[in-house]
Amino acid sequence: MSDSEYILELKDITKIFPGVKALNRVQFQLKRGEIHALMGENGAGKSTFIKVITGVHAAEEGHMYLEGEEVHFKGPKDASKAGIAAVYQHPTTYPTLSVAENIFMGHEIIKNGMIQWKEMNRQADELLSKLHANFKSTDEMGALSVAQQQMTEIAKALSTNAKIVILDEPTASLTANESEELYRIVEKLRDDGVSVIFISHRFEDMYRLASRVTVFRDSQYIGTYDVDKITNADLIKAMVGREITDMFPKPDVKIGEEIFKIEGLSRTGFFKNVSLSVHAGEIVGMTGLVGAGRTEVMEAVCGITKPDEGKVFLNGKQLKIKKPSDAMKEGIILLPENRSTQGLILTWGLGRNVTLPIQKKLAKGFFNDIKKENELARDFLEEVDKGAVSIFDPASSLSGGNQQKVVVAKALAQDNMKVIILDEPTKGVDVGAKAEIYAIMGELAKKGYAIIMISSEMPEILGMSDTIYVMCNGRITGCLNREEASQEHILSLSMEHSDKKKEAAQ
Amino acid sequence: MAGKSGRSIKAEQEVSFKKLILSWEGALFILIILLNIFNASISPSYTVTNILREMPKYLAEILMMFPMAYILVLGDIDISVGSIVCLCATMTCFISNAGAPAIVTYIGCLAVGLICGMVNGAVATRFPELPSMIITLGTQIIYRGIAEISLGSGGSVSFNDTKKIMPLSKKIGPVPVVLFVVIIAAVIFTVVLAKCTFGRELYAIGSNKLSAFYAGVEVQKCRFIAYSLLGLMAGACGLFLTAYMYGANTTTGQGFEMEVIAMCVFGGIATTGGKGNLIGAIIAGAIIVLLRIALGQINLNSQLILVIIGAMLIIAVLIPGIQANLKARRKLKQAR
Repeated sequence: MSDSEYILELKDITKIFPGVKALNRVQFQLKRGEIHALMGENGAGKSTFIKVITGVHAAEEGHMYLEGEEVHFKGPKDASKAGIAAVYQHPTTYPTLSVAENIFMGHEIIKNGMIQWKEMNRQADELLSKLHANFKSTDEMGALSVAQQQMTEIAKALSTNAKIVILDEPTASLTANESEELYRIVEKLRDDGVSVIFISHRFEDMYRLASRVTVFRDSQYIGTYDVDKITNADLIKAMVGREITDMFPKPDVKIGEEIFKIEGLSRTGFFKNVSLSVHAGEIVGMTGLVGAGRTEVMEAVCGITKPDEGKVFLNGKQLKIKKPSDAMKEGIILLPENRSTQGLILTWGLGRNVTLPIQKKLAKGFFNDIKKENELARDFLEEVDKGAVSIFDPASSLSGGNQQKVVVAKALAQDNMKVIILDEPTKGVDVGAKAEIYAIMGELAKKGYAIIMISSEMPEILGMSDTIYVMCNGRITGCLNREEASQEHILSLSMEHSDKKKEAAQ
Repeated sequence: MAGKSGRSIKAEQEVSFKKLILSWEGALFILIILLNIFNASISPSYTVTNILREMPKYLAEILMMFPMAYILVLGDIDISVGSIVCLCATMTCFISNAGAPAIVTYIGCLAVGLICGMVNGAVATRFPELPSMIITLGTQIIYRGIAEISLGSGGSVSFNDTKKIMPLSKKIGPVPVVLFVVIIAAVIFTVVLAKCTFGRELYAIGSNKLSAFYAGVEVQKCRFIAYSLLGLMAGACGLFLTAYMYGANTTTGQGFEMEVIAMCVFGGIATTGGKGNLIGAIIAGAIIVLLRIALGQINLNSQLILVIIGAMLIIAVLIPGIQANLKARRKLKQAR
């Protein structure tokens, strides 16, 4: 048992939350100095499992062995003392404090009751230089990018001399370059003898980093595999429980006439002279690096912000959109990027969320028609087939993928929809739900809607789009059709401009 | 009706008597019954006739509680209403003393309140990033300042032709007019919040302003309407206050804002927005009014009454947390 091949071993862990078994007799073995990927759909129990390891949750049953010795963590402090540190997708930092303060939060260097600022900053800088960070210990945390904040969190883990570092979806909000930087840091950690547990929905993360992968499904342990011995299809099958034959069910739709057109749209500081057009049944992909201005263009179209110049046409008629409700009245529906802060009201039931944009249409005079609302909400939720039992379940009780499906239902419920704009529709969504969302998009295209999909994920851009617009630094740098598009081509278009800018600056 | 998954999603809500009793409103309802028994036992003069007679002086404030609930549901707060009441009462006296007929006096008072509320709303919606607490702290000082300047060195004004304002302090049978107005306002405000699209929008904004905006809710318009309504009802409060006091002075309406907010919070409306309803707030308002009447009848020091109400408020805010804790524990036990 105490054979020291495994630095961390968990056996028969069961965790019960009111009403549900979040983990059902799962096991996990982490080798010394390995990078171990933990994969599974949203809601499979990965996060709960991590919280059991870090002492946030106490498991009802099961054993946990650290270096062969059984341990019982009463709280996160015990875990951190034992050398386990976790870095979350959204760093839980103190934005108004300095980087050094964040790194040493909870274990400040204290002498005679006074914080030793100089020493703390020096040690923080040492840790940061180890990670090749491009910022200083005295910088304010809130001014850093998400990637830099994660780096700080990793530095924090190192400052406690962690032997095991857990990374929970660290690449979800990073750009390709930033991800590359993170890979480098994680590999360095491994080379320094740290064992790493890596949770991610991105297969490329796993292939790039991990040597072994453990899969959870429906709160259960499915298996542990060597990354170089398992095929992509087998892994997806293990995660989803069924075979996904066609990840991108792009239907063969005859493209109709032009429905939606943007001409010369500009907003100072965000984007300039953006023009594009979408036809009936067409899926237009908009891609580019994070911060290229894709979201900002669509927000201006939908009345979230005001553009300085430019025209928007729907069926040849010029539109005047001043606020989101104007866009909705015209049938332009936006599915915002951030489900929890823009797309849904998490404390509300699913039904109320679905009917919020149309409550006035359904109302009898001033009064809400609750019965009609509930029926409509149920019908649309059933159409997108999500995991809820009742339309009164709060949206916060669903996993990311299922929340996204509720957002889709909310859009579908608006029966005057003509143009649908999806902003990063599969961000943080597991592979099974992804396939379902693509299928819904295919259905919508078949029905003749004009579809715009903003995405940073190359496979879905290439897999789903008829036409691809690439943006860079607020300008459209290219428009490719399905046949001529390739990963290299898109990447070069999304970088081209920034290189030119750099040259100009030099 | 089954979806393509062959599974049907439940769309009917279960209503259970137990849930109703365990809700905050249920608890308040039981509390008000207990309070009446308690009041009757400590004060021999605690009778319906006496209550109806002593009620009016506390009722005018309640008028502001309804729109204040809207403001709190929005996640905003308005602490300028006490000053609006003062300004309205002052202006009512001036308008009437200048020789205006009764109807003009009434409308003038309501208009002053409405304008004050609209100013609050205009500033709050023009600068949505400013905390409403600070905006209304500013207008609180401004409105009372204007009232004090108008009142001059004497610091008070009396209502000369009291006949004009008499109808407001009259009774219909044993029931004072102000109680009728309160009941009508209670019904309208409660129904709008609970059953109308506007109420739903208020909850949406208070729960998640950004999501509401993305869903097409006109956030700033709704906030403006709520502030304006509160100003209007503060005007109504000022009017009734004048009718009972035959005048106004620099302390008129002082502290009303906090009392009204206290009633809402005691009634289960969260100051963070999106939670609570007017049924709870109305019961809570009734509890505070009845408690004041009874404690007044046994000649308890009025400052001591404030201490008791303050303590009740803190307990009221603590209880939901304790309740949630117990519920979670019970559920955990069941799950095991």
